[in-house]
Amino acid sequence: MQSESARMSSAAEARYRIDAPNSKPRAVKVIALDRPSERVVTDLARRQWNGANFFTASAFGAAPRQGESFAGWLSDLAGRTKDLIDEVNSADLVVMIAQAGENAQAASIIGEACSVKRVMTTSLVLGGANVSDETLSKTLSHLRPWSLMLVIASAEDYIADMLTALRA
Amino acid sequence: MLRKEQNDLLTQTGPGTPMGNMFRASWQPALLAEELPEAECPPVRVKLLSERLLAWRDSQGRYALTDEFCAHRGVSLWFGRNEENGLRCPYHGWKYDHTGQCVEVPSEPTESGYCKKIKLKSYPLVERGGVLWTYMGPPDKQPPLPEWEFAMMPPDRTFMSKRLQECNWLQAMEGGIDSSHVSFLHSGEINRDPLFKGSKGNQYNMGDMKPVFEVVESPGGLYIGARRNAENGRYYWRITQYVLPAFTMIAPRADHPVHGHFWVPIDDDNCWAWSFDYKVTRPLTEKEFAALRAGEGIHVKYVPGTFRPLANKDNDYLIDRAAQKRGETYSGVWGIAMQDASLQESMGPIVDRTKENLISTDNGIIMARHRLLRALKTMEKGETPPGIEREHQRVRSAAVVLPPDQHFKDAAKEALRVQDGQSHATV
Repeated sequence: MQSESARMSSAAEARYRIDAPNSKPRAVKVIALDRPSERVVTDLARRQWNGANFFTASAFGAAPRQGESFAGWLSDLAGRTKDLIDEVNSADLVVMIAQAGENAQAASIIGEACSVKRVMTTSLVLGGANVSDETLSKTLSHLRPWSLMLVIASAEDYIADMLTALRA
Repeated sequence: MLRKEQNDLLTQTGPGTPMGNMFRASWQPALLAEELPEAECPPVRVKLLSERLLAWRDSQGRYALTDEFCAHRGVSLWFGRNEENGLRCPYHGWKYDHTGQCVEVPSEPTESGYCKKIKLKSYPLVERGGVLWTYMGPPDKQPPLPEWEFAMMPPDRTFMSKRLQECNWLQAMEGGIDSSHVSFLHSGEINRDPLFKGSKGNQYNMGDMKPVFEVVESPGGLYIGARRNAENGRYYWRITQYVLPAFTMIAPRADHPVHGHFWVPIDDDNCWAWSFDYKVTRPLTEKEFAALRAGEGIHVKYVPGTFRPLANKDNDYLIDRAAQKRGETYSGVWGIAMQDASLQESMGPIVDRTKENLISTDNGIIMARHRLLRALKTMEKGETPPGIEREHQRVRSAAVVLPPDQHFKDAAKEALRVQDGQSHATV
């Protein structure tokens, strides 16, 4: 007699896999950390997504002092200010986009907020091939402590592929 | 997730398919050299990339990889008579040489020259490192022979096996670059298996169940770094190599042989999992060879006389629920290879990737698919895909402990390339 495993892993049985949604939409927040990344994120935002939201932190200054609000430390792509904590609170995943060689210090503020709220972080570094190893390392050193996944991509279109793969 | 058309594009490798063309652009392992041990030995049926072929050696010992079927009435030449520098169909006596050229049609007058009009499709078959490699692409684009480090080792330093995996090549390959499953699925084996146990890296592996990942594009594919905490604020990095389309190499452990895989499509529902182990700086010990032949490490025990694993879907992978309860195996299946294969085969022949829910730790898999899709696009423009150039093949995996501010790609730059005669970077 055919084993359960042999029967159930056949192509014929595969078609009986339940065809119903097996997940709810995830709240993915995509944040550009610098001006060049802002352009990339703006382009991405024009596409069709399952609720992903796009922001820029390129105007980030120093971290707010204790007790100060995070309002205004983030803005959407229309230039409206947003409260970082509010956005992180409602996020399942925060994706930070940085250009190699640019200032990625905002990652520490966003990353810390995500860490407190136990929100998963992914960072993507673009343009790594266009800068020296030292410059790339500097950018990575800003991101690494705050990224549970760090990707160095040679092409911008990877970000769209990744967001699609994550059902963003 | 992938859209259905993307999933189809990456999983279909038959003649004329884009992904099939990518596999056909480079040398692929076809058989173990031991399967064709001598001149006029019995022929071997080979299915690769959805093509039925026959591998054999003529009276001079020359290798042949030809269409399996006689051009006359379609008889399988596996039944052929291997005689006097050719394979003769036993049905009506048509005879072919090692290039597939028909050299005799007994019922036709020799003077008619009819046999010259008959030629079976054939591919080159070349031995290197105990493996018979074939190139199934356009003859004018045949690349130089493969230079993977394991294949360049003397025979006492390298070991290769193959096993049938009953699912599409992509879901098998994706297991090879999925570093995050090791701490779960293989948690029992890494401290038991003679080819894994006893490394300091295992302690780091088990001491930090939430690795952090970095994925970096390499010239031939990807470096996938998994970072775990080590002592004094330092990081233990395990760096997996992926080279397009189907080469993966696992980070080494201690002084054990280093291992990796090729995932080669047989057809769209099955693949060969080729598994190699080697050491650069010393011969493998008798104990290591014995363990490798016994199916330890990433190898398997077989159904006698076949390359089908002894634990397979027909016997529910000999699942041992009691061992699972005792904590000896995480999934109840014994052995690293079959722990992976059992789960990958359970997805069905070709998993429906429209239904999957990837998370950010799956970026290695996401990036691998992205690189494959990107390479397919560049191939449309006539460009060569990654993985063919010599430098793309002269790569290594590595395990290193680094200070927190060092990027593995730079700090382990030399360790990720073949350094002739020097040991792998290992922990």
